[in-house]
Amino acid sequence: MMELAIGIILGCCALGAGMAMIAGIGPGIGEGNAVASACEAIGRQPECKGSVTTTMLMGCAVAETTGLYALVIAILLIFLAPGRFVNILMDTMLSLK
Amino acid sequence: MSKLDPTVRKETLYISAWVLILSAVMQAVFLVFGKWNFGVLFGNLLSGICACLNFLLMGITVQKALEKDSDDAKTTMKFSQTLRMLMQFGFAAVGVIFFNPIASIIPLFFPRIAVTFRPLMDKRSGGQNTDKGGEQ
Repeated sequence: MMELAIGIILGCCALGAGMAMIAGIGPGIGEGNAVASACEAIGRQPECKGSVTTTMLMGCAVAETTGLYALVIAILLIFLAPGRFVNILMDTMLSLK
Repeated sequence: MSKLDPTVRKETLYISAWVLILSAVMQAVFLVFGKWNFGVLFGNLLSGICACLNFLLMGITVQKALEKDSDDAKTTMKFSQTLRMLMQFGFAAVGVIFFNPIASIIPLFFPRIAVTFRPLMDKRSGGQNTDKGGEQ
């Protein structure tokens, strides 16, 4: 019974981490669109290359943060959460006995 | 290897400076709360390097993508983002397992904080930062 409960905890943590990383798709698409638009803008006005690149870099850094949130959640679910949850389970089982 | 664009170099230096400042602040906070140890220092170091490297690689990718047509640029950025995400995962995983988890994760967000304060710095310097950057 205990092994089953631990297995469910580990499985749910892995599943949650995988689902969290779905959010990692968005920044890639967003950055791609931003750079594609910047290419067109620089093609139209080559003299604005510096300011366009600066603005786009800052925009890409902001867009990347959403992916980072997902990454952090995934890391916590993979490396920290299983141990904590198993400890809570153990404590609960001991208190019930 | 092509030369690094002056705009990319300038922005990377700006982000690195902010990462350094915010790292020092974070170390101070850990010291004040009495939670400081070498795990905090090394975790912060690892994660700070990862944040700066991520921004530099993003800048290099942007620099290369701007020389391509828009469809190729889009694909290049998506591929680069995936690889950089994997790199960050690797760095953060090492930090969480071997060093302090909090000190290893928080510095990944320092570039975002630096970008938030960017308009204030531009306002102070009269908006000159964004206009002179990459002109060659």
